[in-house]
Amino acid sequence: MRFSLVTHVTGIVVRVFGLMFLAPLAVALCYREYSDAAAFALSGVVTTLVGHAMRHAGGKAAEDAIEGMRRVEGLAIVSAAWLLIAWFAAMPYLWAGLGPIDAMFESMSGLTTTGATVLRDFSQYGRGLFFWRSMTQWLGGMGVIALFVAVLPRLAIGGREIFFAEASGPDDEKVSPQIRRTAALLWRLYAALTVMQTIALRLAGMSWYDAVSHSFTTLAAGGFSPHPLSIAGYQSAAIEWVIIVFMFIAGANFALQYRALAKRDFRLLSSDEELRVYAGVVLAATGFLSIAIWRLGAPGDVVRTALFQVLSIITTTGFASVDFQLWNDQAKAILLGLMFIGGCAGSAAGGPKVVRHILLAKSTLQELRRTLHPRAILPVKLGNRVVPAHIVQGVVVFFLFYMLMFAICAAIVVLLGADLVTGISATAATLGNVGPGFNSVGPMGHFADLHPISRIVLTFAMWIGRLEVITVLVILRPEAWRAGRWSSSPSAHT
Amino acid sequence: MRIVIVGGGQIGSSLARTLAPDHEVVVVDHDRAVADAFTAIDAEFIVGSGTSEEVLGRAGIERAQFFVACTGLDEVNIVACAIANRIASPETICLVSRADFLPGSQGHLEQFGINRVLWPEAQLAADIERVVTAPGAIDAEVFAGGVIRLLEYRLGAGSSLIGVPLGQLRLPRRSLIVAVKRAARLFVPRGTTMLEAGDKIIIMGTPEAMLEVEAQVNQARGGGRLKVTIIGGGDVGLELAERLEQASTVDLRILESDPGRGELLAARLTRTLVLNGDGTDLAFLESEDVGRSDVLVCVIDNDERNLLASLLGRQLGVPKVVTRVSRPANLRLFERVGIDVALSARGAAVASILHQITGGTSRLLAVLEHGEARVLELTVKKDFTATPLKGIGTPEDAIVGAILRDGTAIVPRGDDRIEPGDRILVFSTREAADRVQAYFSGTGN
Repeated sequence: MRFSLVTHVTGIVVRVFGLMFLAPLAVALCYREYSDAAAFALSGVVTTLVGHAMRHAGGKAAEDAIEGMRRVEGLAIVSAAWLLIAWFAAMPYLWAGLGPIDAMFESMSGLTTTGATVLRDFSQYGRGLFFWRSMTQWLGGMGVIALFVAVLPRLAIGGREIFFAEASGPDDEKVSPQIRRTAALLWRLYAALTVMQTIALRLAGMSWYDAVSHSFTTLAAGGFSPHPLSIAGYQSAAIEWVIIVFMFIAGANFALQYRALAKRDFRLLSSDEELRVYAGVVLAATGFLSIAIWRLGAPGDVVRTALFQVLSIITTTGFASVDFQLWNDQAKAILLGLMFIGGCAGSAAGGPKVVRHILLAKSTLQELRRTLHPRAILPVKLGNRVVPAHIVQGVVVFFLFYMLMFAICAAIVVLLGADLVTGISATAATLGNVGPGFNSVGPMGHFADLHPISRIVLTFAMWIGRLEVITVLVILRPEAWRAGRWSSSPSAHT
Repeated sequence: MRIVIVGGGQIGSSLARTLAPDHEVVVVDHDRAVADAFTAIDAEFIVGSGTSEEVLGRAGIERAQFFVACTGLDEVNIVACAIANRIASPETICLVSRADFLPGSQGHLEQFGINRVLWPEAQLAADIERVVTAPGAIDAEVFAGGVIRLLEYRLGAGSSLIGVPLGQLRLPRRSLIVAVKRAARLFVPRGTTMLEAGDKIIIMGTPEAMLEVEAQVNQARGGGRLKVTIIGGGDVGLELAERLEQASTVDLRILESDPGRGELLAARLTRTLVLNGDGTDLAFLESEDVGRSDVLVCVIDNDERNLLASLLGRQLGVPKVVTRVSRPANLRLFERVGIDVALSARGAAVASILHQITGGTSRLLAVLEHGEARVLELTVKKDFTATPLKGIGTPEDAIVGAILRDGTAIVPRGDDRIEPGDRILVFSTREAADRVQAYFSGTGN
């Protein structure tokens, strides 16, 4: 691994991220929140300067090496960039009075589209800050790096490795052979959907400010809401339906949606195995959840609420249309289970992803068949395509590490004083980038009461969960650090 | 009629042998050694490239009515057809060995001047599929767009059809036993003929009647799913498996000894169990319970191994064994040692080409029992006097299997009449074919 290259490219990314502060700056000025405006301006300047310095620290050698970026360097850049960006994005929260741990938690929760919050009292903070909070989710939803790959000519070639390091799911699927164009097309679709949802929410009765904030966090499968009661604060069936539709879209594969739209061939959607399973799980879970909470209201409301909550959790958005902390344990068990499923690969959703569950189930079945027919050739297939063995193996390893991380983090949180349900649900909700858990971290609660070390651990859980575990763990291997010493030629790139 | 054949391999020589007595046949092949095979055939042999304009000119391409390209190389065949079409305008028939060249929705080979593309392996797979899916039957054909079916059965010792004169047998109406093969001799039975165990019988009839026949012949076998084992995952094995997968009542497994090929099979096939192993390995066959299959299809690319695998299958108790034979000379041998159906890709291709070339007023619908019998479709001549069948002095060794009139099929009894203009399906032995044609249509070859 060549540190100069990693520093250089991370610098490029951080420098551009500085420009993002212009948006909340404008909003803060609009609402005459001058103190916050100063915070955004200052954060922007600091971020840009640090990025610029890092960019130049790499020197000329790094600039030339960018085309020969190796996979491990791509992973390192993405992991480092996410940490740094989260740190810079936390500066406005610091300014607003949060402690460093809380500011980092809130910032990471935003960028990783988790939606877990440490804010106790929403009335203390300005509209500019809430806008920034929603916007970080929107940026993180489709991938900050993907956005920069799309817009930065410097990353046209080396961008390939970092694009896939950040993309979600086991398969590197593209809509164009060029990685920049792929990133640009996906971002365009994402932005168009955001505009559509904003208009729909405005028509359903939200103010423009609320409509934009919620569209940002719905399509990103994030779940931050400027309203302290989340969606439950609006008490509007129309708003819930709009969000239900767009949550479903946010949890489905954007590349697939793009292809179906571009080709005007919607059979692509109905024939996609992952999308079908995803829809099936949503319907089944809605059915079970409706039964579990049947006595809580009129049938129409119960089914809508169940559908909303199922989608909110499976897509890892984390909105609440009711306080599901008040529900019975059966209903909570269903929601907890959904946290471990997640949306589709290539979506804005977090979690282990539906496709990994499909592959794991199929490969288990094939192993069972192999005991009956030891000589059989039993490939794992998705649709009609054979999934290469190394990807299936990667999925198994992913689940292993995912559950291992879950166990370790949950144990730490519980040992540091949280009750069992809080500890488990808080870990599942942060590792899966869902947001709210149960008990004290429930939809109307917050994470601020957890032990400070727990909050740090959960911040890391969000980071690891968003980058899909392996990306982060790979760069912890000593080998990854040593590799550069004996293979420093750029052509060694594979 | 002049026919130019490019490629003197087994298909080329087999075609030439059949066509030479009646037609001017010119065979072009660049391999001098091949010429020896043609010394006994009354055809002209030209040594040279089939893709050379000059050589084709020497072969008299401008006077040729048919041009068959059947070298072992697809690309050569396509180019040869294109060149032939450029110099003259014969009907071109092109043999290929890969599915990519088959006309898709675009019919992309037409622009090369190719009238018909033939993939022998696919033809064979289609033939095998028909045999496999007809329960109990060892051969099966469909005629006249599906209104008439033909099935061939081997009678077991316990069959209810044995020991009774045919006239007294209660076969379903609209079905007819058209031939009996006993000890290598094929004949058209009379009302007094009695069937014996070990006979092969050929029955024609409407699809509904044939369902009853199937039920009557296979009293033993209950319903349920058809278990089919294919040994050999080459082109034919894959094509056959893909066809059989369409039927939801078939349980399919395919044995392939090459792991790489096995991966490809497993990728292409969705419901088939692909096993990596040698089909001639008895322990392997036993461990996978191959003996409990309803049908065993051996399509390995090697006659000896095919025969071994088939015989092992038979020993393990598979009731129906279908085998591919590469060398036509082996066909009869295979059936003699107990294989129910032996088929050859080249045979299927040759029959198909012959059908196209010698079409005319009579259409050769099928060649059965390795050429001993055939089914012809004839149009009855205009001056034929309408007579009941029993009054017709039909040529010996031929029988009218069906009358197609006004879009319906009649499987005739003695009282049915044949009228001028009818289309009839006639079953006949090879020797009687010409006489049959002359009798009903007034023309012979």
